[in-house]
Amino acid sequence: MIMLRKRLSTIVGCVLASFLFASVILPAAQAQMVGTDALLRAQQMQQERAAVATALERADVREALLNYGVDPAQVQARVDSLSTDEVHALAQNIEQLPTAGDDPLGILLFIFVLLLITDILGLTHVFPFVNHKHR
Amino acid sequence: MVNIGAARLGLGGVLLSGIVACSSLPVPRVDDASLTPQIELTSVAFFPQEDHQCGPAALATVLNAAGAAVTPEELVAQVYLPARQGSLQLELLAAIRRHARVPYVIEPQLDTVLHEVAAGHPVLVLQNLDLSWLPVWHYAVVVGFDLAQRELILRSGREPRALLGFAEFERSWALAQHWALVITPLEQLPVTADETRYLSAVAELEAQQQFAAAAPAYMAALARWPGSVAARFGLGNSRYGLGQFTQAEQEYRELLAPHPTLGVVWNNLAMSLIAQRRWDDARDAAQHALELGGASADAARATLSELNAQAGR
Repeated sequence: MIMLRKRLSTIVGCVLASFLFASVILPAAQAQMVGTDALLRAQQMQQERAAVATALERADVREALLNYGVDPAQVQARVDSLSTDEVHALAQNIEQLPTAGDDPLGILLFIFVLLLITDILGLTHVFPFVNHKHR
Repeated sequence: MVNIGAARLGLGGVLLSGIVACSSLPVPRVDDASLTPQIELTSVAFFPQEDHQCGPAALATVLNAAGAAVTPEELVAQVYLPARQGSLQLELLAAIRRHARVPYVIEPQLDTVLHEVAAGHPVLVLQNLDLSWLPVWHYAVVVGFDLAQRELILRSGREPRALLGFAEFERSWALAQHWALVITPLEQLPVTADETRYLSAVAELEAQQQFAAAAPAYMAALARWPGSVAARFGLGNSRYGLGQFTQAEQEYRELLAPHPTLGVVWNNLAMSLIAQRRWDDARDAAQHALELGGASADAARATLSELNAQAGR
């Protein structure tokens, strides 16, 4: 889904960029000289191109956060507070980046209780203090 | 029967202690001479984590220590990913910006962590308590250390005062690429801050229009690095963003005295003069930026057309 979106994003980006390119270059090509205003618009075009790429990446990250269960009312503010570099990093591999959340003690406790229960049920014999009835 | 039971207990023990096992990694080198022998930042608040929410808890700990009052519950909506049952590092950085502080990722050495803690700055760390069959990612906050005991004191999960040996910590931290961040009150800097990296972090705050936070952060940076071009430029830009145009002008002029060939500064000076409706001065400054060429020339042209549009009105 994300892969498909990425491809779509790229296509849309290319179409959009070429549209911008055409609309800026055409007047200059028709004129005798490249005017200051055309130069200005060419500069703007580069910025707009970068902005298009970033906007598409931001849309990707927004989509990913929504898929991970983020409240739709919160998602825009979360995406907006990311820097361009951070958005880029997330758009590239949000699936691979670690999400820390576990309580190590909680996990230890979970393992302990799990082994305790399996011991009591007679499935394992890890703890000597568990009285195995069926022995 | 007892022997087998004991053997099995041994196996279970190994399994359980895998989380805190010492590894073959060398014990990290610490420059003891430059550090206070022991310290504990007892005033740093403790927020016991709820299920899977060590991110919001650890983040609330460091934000409150840096003077930004916020609860873990408020941060859940800003950094927690329900379907991943955890928080991304990059989202922690973004959330810190939302609370008007500068997120600074410190150098990946234990020495750096200790120096920040010694300076009164708790350090948020990412750990990977690798069980090989179950990677466990965890955020905790280092709030103290004892050089003689070679151990750290952390606010971690549901433990307000977890003790962890240097070597054990190093193992879990290395598996998380030694990632750690520090937040300071805006008028302070991390003691281990690198000029360029710190100013980049402040510049991102400026880019997000957080001028009221960026201005004091730039001022603190200027106090540490008086000759920093980026810090004074950023201070000028923040002043401009706050609508303090004469102060912005002052910063740009102070920068141009020793650096008269910085076109972008001439350009922004022109912008601050346009805001003061000083058309002739603005035109001179923009002209300077234009003549210096390079990247500033394009900006200067835009500034000049802006000037013409406004002055012509």
